[in-house]
Amino acid sequence: MARRYWNINLEEMLEAGVHFGHGTRKWNPRMAPYISAKRKGIHIINLTRTARFLSEACDLVFDAASRGKQFLIVGTKKKAADSVVRAAIRARCHYVNKKWSGGMLTNWATTETRLHKFRDLRTEQKTGRLNRLPKRDAAMLKRQLSRLQTYLGGIQYMTRLPDIVIIVDQQEEYTALRECITLGIPTICLIDTNCDPDLADMSIPANDDAIASIRLILNKLVFAICEGRSSYIRNR
Amino acid sequence: MYNYNSMATAMAAALPSFSSLTPHNPLSPRLSILFPTSSKSSPSSRPFLSLSSGLVLRTRAKPSDIDTSFFDNFDPEDEIPFDPPTPPEGFVPPPSFDEGPEETEDDVAAAYEELYGPGYSGVSVLGNDIYVMDSKVKKTSAFEKTKEDKVRDGFEERVVQVRRVTKVVKGGKQLHFRAVVVVGDKQGQVGVGVGKATEVIGAVQKSAVNARRNIITVPMTKYLTFPHRSEGDYGAAKVMLRPASPGTGVIAGGAVRIVLEMAGVENALGKQIGSKNALNNARATVVAVQKMRQFRDVARERGIPMEELWK
Repeated sequence: MARRYWNINLEEMLEAGVHFGHGTRKWNPRMAPYISAKRKGIHIINLTRTARFLSEACDLVFDAASRGKQFLIVGTKKKAADSVVRAAIRARCHYVNKKWSGGMLTNWATTETRLHKFRDLRTEQKTGRLNRLPKRDAAMLKRQLSRLQTYLGGIQYMTRLPDIVIIVDQQEEYTALRECITLGIPTICLIDTNCDPDLADMSIPANDDAIASIRLILNKLVFAICEGRSSYIRNR
Repeated sequence: MYNYNSMATAMAAALPSFSSLTPHNPLSPRLSILFPTSSKSSPSSRPFLSLSSGLVLRTRAKPSDIDTSFFDNFDPEDEIPFDPPTPPEGFVPPPSFDEGPEETEDDVAAAYEELYGPGYSGVSVLGNDIYVMDSKVKKTSAFEKTKEDKVRDGFEERVVQVRRVTKVVKGGKQLHFRAVVVVGDKQGQVGVGVGKATEVIGAVQKSAVNARRNIITVPMTKYLTFPHRSEGDYGAAKVMLRPASPGTGVIAGGAVRIVLEMAGVENALGKQIGSKNALNNARATVVAVQKMRQFRDVARERGIPMEELWK
């Protein structure tokens, strides 16, 4: 994998607060190599390591995108949900920003059934069939449609399992991470001081609480994906 | 068989630091074993490449062209300098995803559709057929079902045991059937699976699906027997396997015999020491078989000629 320049500078990361970890009491001792100091009861993450891992992750993502792989971004924290949607739409990736239903990937057959139902409801809504039904049925179907829209809206273009999954908070999305591990899908995870770095394939130690830090990391990854895609389109 | 080959070559050649002496292995053994990016597994056999049937972690081979090897040799203690390559001339930092031109929904939909096809969105901006995913749905009518499931992907199924199991609830007894099935082609791939359902046929089907998920390869010599003795245990069942000269046939009892036959092993001796439980014995044979190594691979790993192994 050729290393490219991803515009990662440490001052930017300090500004965004990427180096703040969680409280000292909640740490995972496996994160010890990535923690540089302890200040006022909060662990401080070593930013050089973070920068290095981030650039490696961007390289990996660029490489994969230039080969036409599909990505999935998972972030269900309330703080991060909005930025996840924006980032994914910008990068033209699939995303999950509301609750991750258990078995979304491992039970892909059932998820596909739901997606089919979603598609049928959408077409019915478009052709106006919903208005011809009695009010109660129409209301039920509309409610179903809105539910499916919130949960499956981001993966409506996903025809098969994704090739790389980017997870925003490991503690929050533990089920998603476990599913990817059983299926053998490579994962890129944002790790905080209370997470386990050995679970994901590529972990980026960073702060997952601050919106600015999540946005920064997502920015870099999205940039890498876009570059990869454009090179894929060029060389196709 | 050849999976071990590729693993051994990769391990011997590409990872000199990967011995049992390295104290820190930040990765679980699962990932390091799956490291060979030039794995020879063909796309069709990829779903079956699993390293366990009785262990808790079920693993699968990764798509081999996504190279996550950065973390494999990584020792977290040493200092990694962060020296990014120099920015190319005229490098303009790209706008964040919030700034930048606002895209209408149609634009977004068109872009997604260009990349992935209409998928399940129900709307098609570029004029593609929105029902493109319908061919995936198999319409199973009641009549066709019996014929459809007969032909499978080259694996033969044999039922080891079907038992009626009961769950006692307030209203009475709820009966289910539990089927243990061994699946194999006679070329060295076997898998053991369990499944429960209210009907025998349903249970057999479920267990066949489960068995196909945990397939292992049996290392065999050219006389269709094992390379060496081995013992394996699972639960209270302990199984001893021993190679035999050609013409002996499979001399083993019950579950062990079925597993060995479906693997294609022609000559072997096996004994169930310990519990006689069929499922546990089947799993114990699988464990025993997984412990076996081909002489060629051991010699290559240790870096000694094969003759040394027989001294």
